[in-house]
Parts: sequence; C-alpha cells; structure tokens
Amino acid sequence: MLPELLQGVDTGGLLVIQDSASYSGRHLLQSFINAALNREEAVHVLGFEVSEEELKDGLRGSPVQRLHFHNAYTDPLGWTDHPAFTVHQFCLGELTRLVKQTSHSKPAILVIDSLSWILRHVSTPDVCRTLQQLRKGGAVRSIIGLLHADMHQRGTVGSVCHSATSVITVEPAMRGDEAVAKITKRSKSGKVIQDEEIFRIKDDLTVLVQSKSSKGAKKADSEEQETDPTANLTFNLRLSDTEREAKQKLALPFVFSKEKKTALLHSGPGSGRIHYEPDANDDYDQEDPDDDLDV
Amino acid sequence: MAAPMSSVGKPSAERSPFNNTSFQKKTRSKLISIPGTRPSVQNGQLLVSTGVTSLDYLLGGGLAVGTVLLIEEDRYDSYSRMILKYFLAEGVVCRHELYVAAAQDNPDDILQELPAPILDDVAMHKPAEQPRLSREPPDGLDAMKIAWRYQNLPKVQSQRLLSPYTHLSWHSPLCRSPDEDIRSKTALASSSRFGHYYDVSKTMEPEIRQAAKCHRFYLPEHPTQSSPPHSTMLESYSALLKSLQEVINREGFDVAAPMSNSRNILRIGLHSLGSALWGDDLCCHDNPKNGRALTTFLYGLRALLRSSLSVAVVTLPSHLIQDRALMGSITRLCDNAIALESFKGSERETNPLYKDYHDTHVHTSSALRLGLGCGWRQGSPLAGQAVSARLIHVRQVPHLNCLASKLPDHKDLAFKLKRKQFSIEKNRVKAVRPGNSLNIPGRAQLLQREIGQRVMVHKMDTCRGFVHQGYMMRTLALIMVAPPCVYR
Repeated sequence: MLPELLQGVDTGGLLVIQDSASYSGRHLLQSFINAALNREEAVHVLGFEVSEEELKDGLRGSPVQRLHFHNAYTDPLGWTDHPAFTVHQFCLGELTRLVKQTSHSKPAILVIDSLSWILRHVSTPDVCRTLQQLRKGGAVRSIIGLLHADMHQRGTVGSVCHSATSVITVEPAMRGDEAVAKITKRSKSGKVIQDEEIFRIKDDLTVLVQSKSSKGAKKADSEEQETDPTANLTFNLRLSDTEREAKQKLALPFVFSKEKKTALLHSGPGSGRIHYEPDANDDYDQEDPDDDLDV
Repeated sequence: MAAPMSSVGKPSAERSPFNNTSFQKKTRSKLISIPGTRPSVQNGQLLVSTGVTSLDYLLGGGLAVGTVLLIEEDRYDSYSRMILKYFLAEGVVCRHELYVAAAQDNPDDILQELPAPILDDVAMHKPAEQPRLSREPPDGLDAMKIAWRYQNLPKVQSQRLLSPYTHLSWHSPLCRSPDEDIRSKTALASSSRFGHYYDVSKTMEPEIRQAAKCHRFYLPEHPTQSSPPHSTMLESYSALLKSLQEVINREGFDVAAPMSNSRNILRIGLHSLGSALWGDDLCCHDNPKNGRALTTFLYGLRALLRSSLSVAVVTLPSHLIQDRALMGSITRLCDNAIALESFKGSERETNPLYKDYHDTHVHTSSALRLGLGCGWRQGSPLAGQAVSARLIHVRQVPHLNCLASKLPDHKDLAFKLKRKQFSIEKNRVKAVRPGNSLNIPGRAQLLQREIGQRVMVHKMDTCRGFVHQGYMMRTLALIMVAPPCVYR
C-alpha cells in the first residue's frame, strides 16, 4: 500500500508519518516530496527541524523548481526582529497567504517537518483545528506531516492521528537498511484498511517494498471449487438449447394465463382472502441455517 | 386474531397509528401519542427507538425521552458513526425532528449518509398511491410462476431479524395492544411501528430525508466568542448549548410549552464530542487544563433534556482519554453508556495470545461449568480465546424514577454489522476439540469421559473414606486408557 500512498494522497487528506528515536521518518518524508515533485506538483515545505540546504541536499536529483521552502529553522520563535516564519504563524490565514504567494494553478501540497515542533509551542486543539481548516479550504490540496511519536503524550498523538486520513508508523526492521511501515488508511466511505510492509529507500529516494509481513493482508479464503454435478456420469443430464427452450415452453397444468391470474387476484367480495401469519419456520437465518449454533 | 388484510391494500394516506382496528383502548389519562414512541414496560417512561433493535433491548426497551446515550467510539469511529446514523435515520422514519452537531464533518455529510429504511409498503411520505392490488407486478422477481396467488402480499419480516430478545420485552400485559401482535410480525405503516430496519448498503432517498426537519450545528461556522473568565465551559460547548436551547424553545419541545395536539420528539446527535476539534484538550493531555468543560456541558445538556421532549446521542473518542477518573465521571453523567470495541487497532490485535486464534477457536464452556477447570481457564495458552471481532460493553444503565434498573443478562456481548441488521448478541463460543497436538481420534470423547470419571472417582473417594494415593493414580491411568465399563 505504500506505493499507492506515494502516488498521491487524496484531496483534502492528511498523511501523518509517525516515527521514533530508533528510526527516523525523514527519509520517507523526502521520498514523498520526491514523488510529488516528480508528479509536477508544487510542494511547500515548512521546515522547523532541518535547514534548507540540508533538505535540498537530500533531494539531489529531483526537480526542485517547484519546491518552496519556508524557513522556520533559523528563527522559529521570533527572537530576532525579522523572522522568516515563526511557529505562531501556523494558522489558517498566514498559511493560506504563504501558499498563495507563489501562485500556481493547482493547489499545492504542504509538507510539515515536523508537527512535533509545532505541538510543543501551540496547543494541540489549535493545531488540529488549523489542520482541519487547511484541509477544508482550497489553498492546499493535501498535507503530509512528520510526527515524532515518542515526544508527546499518547493522547496528543492520538488526537492528531484521529483526524488523519492515513497514518504510517515506521519502525526499524531486522536488517539495517530496511524498515517496517504500519499503514492505516481511512477512506471516505469509512472503511479502514491496515497493512504492514517492509520497505527500503534507495539512493534516488524511491521506495522499494520488500515484502508484506505475515500480519499483513490476510488472504481471503479461496472459494471452494464448484463441482459440476452433471459431469462424470454414465448418463446424460445436460440439456441442449433446443431442449431447454422446449422445457420453458411447456404449459404446466394449473398455470393460468395472465388474464385469468389477474382476474383471480382481484378477489371479489365473496371469495377467499389470503391471511398469512408467519411462524417459526419463517425465521430463516442465513448465517445459521441449521439453527444449532447457540451453546 | 388476524387483522383484516385489507388495510394493506388501502392507499397509504395519513393514518393514525391506532386506527387499524375498530378497537379503541379505553384510557383515562390524556397520554399524548407521539409517533415512534411507546411507554416502557419497566417504569412507564416514554421510549424512543435508537434505530437498532438489539440495542433497544440492551437499553431496556429503548431510549427514554429526556435522556442521553453516550457511545464510546471505537478506534476509527466506524461503528459509532453507524449507530449515530441509525439513530438519525430512525428519526426521519418516525417523523421526529433532528438536530446534528459536529466539529469534524459537516452535518450535511452525515445526513446524506443515512441508511435506507427497509419498508415493505411504500414510504409514508409519498402521496397516496393506487392500491397495490391493481398494479401489475413487473416481470422478474415479483412475478411468481407457481405461487402467483401470493405475489401481491407484502413481504413478511422474518422474526429472526427481530433480535431474539426484542419479542420478549413485548410480552407484557402492560404494553400489549390487540394490533401489537400483528405489528410485530407483518409490516404496516412504518410510523406506527417501534424500531425499523435499515439497509446499510443504500443511502436514504433525498425525498424521505428532506421531509424531516433537520437543525444543524457545524462548529467552524460559529465564530468563537470569548467566554467569561470564570466559566468552566469552553466557547464551543456554550455555543452548542445555547443553540440547542434556542431550538428547543423555538420549536416548542419544551415540556412547559402549552400542550398542543401535535407534539414531537427532537433527536439530538452530537458527533465526536470532546475531541480536539471542539477545542477541548481532554483527549490531548494526560492532565487536561479544562478537564471539567465536557462534564459541565453534559450536566447542562441533561438539564435541558429533562425539561423537554428530546433524546440525545453523544459519541466520544474515549480511547484518547487517558484520565480514567474523568472518563468515569463522564460516564456517570450520562444516563446510558455503551462502549464499542473493534479489534482493528485495539490492543487485543497485538496481543500474542490472540494472534493465532481466529473466530472459531474457543474453550469449551461445559468444562468451565463443571468447575473442574481442566487447565482451560482464560489466559492459559492451551485455551482458545473467544475472539469475536467486535465487542460491545454496557457501561451504564439508567436509573429513571426507580431504585434498581434492569441490567442486561449477559455482560459479554459482541456486535455484528450485517447489511440489513446491526445485531448485538452473546459472545458466542463454539466448542472445538482441544489439544491440537494430539491426533488421537475420539479424544474429545475421551476427555469427556475423563471428566466424568473424575467426578465418579471423587464420589468414590468420599464414599470409601480412605483411598490410597497411588491406588488412585493407577486407577486414573486405567480410566484414561480403558473404557469405563471395565472399571465398573
């Protein structure tokens, strides 16, 4: 499922990459940025934790013309007189203005590196509300955020992921260069898909999915092969087409013509009426046809 | 006593629910008859259906008017949202008024996803139609080849769809009316019935939905005014409470309002209260700053409901709330409380004990009943665990005008969302052969015998008074191998 998410997050979606101290999710984030740039989409990055040079260094080889970096690394709390972007500017109006400045025809993708930094200085309900407003507003197509799960309380992480459409939790795998990604995706219809994959990020920032781990997609039970009862018999039970036609045409006794049927159905005042009262045999439960599953 | 079937063929014009027979119950009290409600069997409260008949049984027949039902959401808010939609759809079908409040999704989106009701006769909101009998059935499914005399009869609701519990609560002389029998079995005009069925795969048609009056409260549309510094409630909650109060007073749901002939019920659905999008940090921090905001709101909500003809269903993402004491007080502030647990994302999924077990591996309940505990108590690795995919817990039942309320018979309940039914039933255990490592045929019978023998040996023991230990062991070994008749 990871490649599908890399193809593109749905409009109005929030993708949260949860990482921890044991494995950094920044490489995966860069893969997402790379994939978005390759798809010729405008990407706005709010960089709180990495500097612009470091990010562009990691994205060597990608078309960086459409990448707009908003420098929140040098002075995020506004200690100097002219801060580039402070954490207090993380609200709907400011961000919309920022994204709209570099005018593109299509709405852009907003990448936040990282949400943890913002959560330390802005209250969680405000962050959630801003993210929700950004998604509903038209300026930003989708949001990808990096969240360090071990930096916050469980409730905070849960609240942010509660409104997210997809959550990817990355952990280190057995081998050094591989990682395990646990993906939870919520579709608009309310369906939740969970998956677990082992992946590796190559040098050119493409993601190679090695395998699905055992807890991943359970194979649906294969349907039992329907055996054709008319095969392997010493006599012929099959019908040819002409025979089938003749069978359909056969007029059974007590099968009335349509007019007679409708005449009989409109029962006059004197004729009998059908009163149907259901009884115990009508309780046919398809899941329990023999009615013997109660202990 | 069969009701005259001609009532089915009549045009579905506005029909009072009690006029299906000429029998009129002689009542002294001027009970206001509101469609979609019925008096409770236990304490005489006016009850409203939640839309899910098995949930109605769990709550003692239905939701009492003037109470709050708290639904603790499952991890991804799929089933709690479903129950909220059932509740609202039931309101539409019973022609109650709706009030939907949400912070995350637009209430219009929630209203558009309501499930379609399964109605055997045509929806009552449509104008009067030709009598069904004169209409030609279309070729295909309706036209029967052999049993054509029955093709114009309405489809009969199988009683199995009524949860095995529901019809029990109806067998009471207090609430039985002569046409109740028929009502429970065949489908008549929907508004006179209590509890309907919905097809989850289809959404409600817009005509039916628009016939019901809906009030909406979408939090982003309400600008936040600053609340006075001493109030313990958040602006979002006070705005919601004000809006609710205004709607109740304006539309005349207040009990104190002058009694007119037509009273109606207001169904209030509050989605995902307490989440961060309402501005509440209850779910975000372990020690929330305004931890009492939601509890104050619930207190105000309940006060509002008690003095009006309304019912509220509140969903709450309780899995995010870390403070258990706060969760407990929230539960106690609501009259009814249920919790949904879906294994997707719950801790049980990651528990290695449950990992190898699918739905069918269970412990034999008979062994436990005998009390011999053949090493199959829960937690033992040999015992299969009853892993039903979804569990429902009843956290609170209401105490309304009574000293003790009816608790559900079984505490261990599971729910299943099927296409046409949301069923809540006992967490079923299916007996399987234990001890997969041994392939001796007839091991189950041997084991049963062993259990039986143990009882017998024990009896013998007490009879004889003194049995040598080694002798007992030898006899036991004999029993396990040899058939019992030899021993006797």
